[in-house]
Amino acid sequence: MLVFTRKLDEAIVIGDGVEVRVLRVGRDSVRLGVTAPMQVAVHRREVYDQIKAANLAAAADPEALGRLAARLRPRSPVESR
Amino acid sequence: MTTATQSFPPDAGAITFADGLPGFEACRHYVVMASPALEPFLCLQGLGDGAPSFLAIDPRLVVDSYPCAIRPTDRSRLDTPADRPLVWLAIVSPNAEGATVNLRAPLVINPETMRGVQLLDGDDAYPLDYRLQK
Repeated sequence: MLVFTRKLDEAIVIGDGVEVRVLRVGRDSVRLGVTAPMQVAVHRREVYDQIKAANLAAAADPEALGRLAARLRPRSPVESR
Repeated sequence: MTTATQSFPPDAGAITFADGLPGFEACRHYVVMASPALEPFLCLQGLGDGAPSFLAIDPRLVVDSYPCAIRPTDRSRLDTPADRPLVWLAIVSPNAEGATVNLRAPLVINPETMRGVQLLDGDDAYPLDYRLQK
């Protein structure tokens, strides 16, 4: 891992066109501004990990999915959690 | 309402997710399989060895008022102007009680370019595990 020391309003550049700038430094947190091309997705790590876990849990073999669809199909209306 | 099933032409090719899906970053191409036996669900099948399969449903069939809203940055990743219709799919996850639907991070697909993204900054008002009633 590359480690940088940056001050307020200083930045690092990643590759061609990605910039991460320090916007605010608090006691327990740092506010960062990311400038990146439209095609580059930027996400909070914990959000990415949550959705990754949900995707991993949802993946199944096609036959199992067919059985699940058959089990769920007649009862489409839903209720919230 | 036009559902996801109706939005893909019968000869639609593979959908490309440029970054893959979280957890399956290496699998970037998927095909949608629809059949009367699956309705109202669709099967999203990854292409390649070890590729995942998902059951998915149009989130508006789960929640009538589901807001199919997409940020301009995500829309640009789909290479589509603002006035073109998009296909929305929410991934269904089986569990012991039945199934849940990920309404927080839907898949959005441009049926014209067959590009897709999973919205990771979706509406916090909707959960990752919205329960389908048995």
